Amino acid sequence: MDAVVTDATQPAIALRGVNKWFKSATGEPLEVLKDVAFEVPPRSILALLGASGCGKSTLLNIISGIVEPSGGSVSFGGVPAAEFTGWDTIGYLFQDDRLLPWRTAIRNVEFALEAGELARAQRRQRARAALRLVGLEEFADAFPYQLSGGMRSRVALARSLVREPRMLLMDEPFSRLDAQTRALLHGEVLRIQNMKHMTIVFVTHDVEEAAVLADQVVVLSPRPGRVREIVDVPCARPRDPTHPAVIAYIQRLRALI
Amino acid sequence: MSEYTDDRSLPRAARAFRLNLLLQRFALVAAILAVWWAAALTAPHYVLPGPGRVWEALRLIAGNNDLWANLGITFARVSAGFAFAALVGLPLGILFGANRRFGVFFEPVIPAMNTISSAIWAIFAIIWFGISNATTIFVVFMTAMPLIITNVWQGTRTVNADFIELARTLRMPQARIMTKIYLPTILPHFFSGARLAFGFGWRVSLVAETLGSSSGVGYRLRQAADLIQTDQVFAWTLALVVMMATIEMGMLRPLENYLFRWKKEAGNA
Repeated sequence: MDAVVTDATQPAIALRGVNKWFKSATGEPLEVLKDVAFEVPPRSILALLGASGCGKSTLLNIISGIVEPSGGSVSFGGVPAAEFTGWDTIGYLFQDDRLLPWRTAIRNVEFALEAGELARAQRRQRARAALRLVGLEEFADAFPYQLSGGMRSRVALARSLVREPRMLLMDEPFSRLDAQTRALLHGEVLRIQNMKHMTIVFVTHDVEEAAVLADQVVVLSPRPGRVREIVDVPCARPRDPTHPAVIAYIQRLRALI
Repeated sequence: MSEYTDDRSLPRAARAFRLNLLLQRFALVAAILAVWWAAALTAPHYVLPGPGRVWEALRLIAGNNDLWANLGITFARVSAGFAFAALVGLPLGILFGANRRFGVFFEPVIPAMNTISSAIWAIFAIIWFGISNATTIFVVFMTAMPLIITNVWQGTRTVNADFIELARTLRMPQARIMTKIYLPTILPHFFSGARLAFGFGWRVSLVAETLGSSSGVGYRLRQAADLIQTDQVFAWTLALVVMMATIEMGMLRPLENYLFRWKKEAGNA
């Protein structure tokens, strides 16, 4: 299917010298990102950590292809973004669940398959499998208003997984949930990542979240957004945020941000 | 989800409330009939016929097919006018909503059209179409269309930009975004506009038929009034009220409840 074959030995995602200017309200160009470069090894988890205004969401949108960079390059498995055809192998999870209120849980999951040409029965089958993966199969026919916040996030997760992505991009995932539900969903994402061997890039302003989930943390500094430092977090999983080794990383990251 | 709407799952108190409400409705109808009956005793029957006389008149027009034929004619005209209004109003409403410049330019037309009385449309219709079906259809159309446009237009303003962004990340084509996000968002607005328009359509159709038709309920109402068959005027009115209530409660409300069952209601949160 892919016109250009990606190379598994290359980084799953690589950014080189990425710049981004926006036109501000006064018409003057505003520099949002400056010379951003990092690599994401296949099957690893990378966190983009920074305070608000450091352009981390813009960076994620550049990776997902919704926003064009003003300069620099993005490549996937060694293939430049311009020649890359496997956009359906990239899943995207928003900050909020964005479930369509007029669709049941399973129909919301199917929505992600409706951009393609899959037959209805196959869509249904794959959506059911994705719901099973997040433990919500029995709520397939519930409407969003009938579900709790955590369940809604699981449906959104199932929707971003139903296309079997090799890469998952998450924009401050689950940040609107309470701490407990959030920790539960973090565990869920790690379990699924381990099972499906996905590469994950996520944006966060939460130091603890970065330390608990990521193999590598790219710390960004604001105005314009630049890479301040890239920190490897080699701790074993599952990580307990009260474990001394994890606490040491949390403190180190907090000092950088 | 049937378990959320099933009557059996209603608590006992809710069922008792419904029964109570039903009894109240019966009491109301009985009270109106009683007052009517008593008032009719004091007036000549060509001014205020009693319930019994009206019932006889209703049986008469129902028996010789007069009732069904004319209700059918009026219903067909209202439906045709309404269908044209929906056909024109839905795309125009979406267009006005999607294109700002277009919307701003045409905005004053809608309130201007709303201020024109249906009697004026009826007179224009007679000038243009004479005594024909088209006259009634035109009046219904001119009344219903602005209502549908206004509602659909407002509906387009409620489309959630986040859902559009979601569809974009999935690389969904624009045409599918229209049918899968715009349309479901607009539908409830369209529906409430259509309901309003249908009700208005019925009322103005009678005006149109009274002035410019030789058949239909409006025509028969005027004829009965001209012949001082006051009992038949009452009978036609009653038939209309029953029909409208049946359409509203028997068709539109259940349809709306089904279509928009995904909406969170205060009762089942």
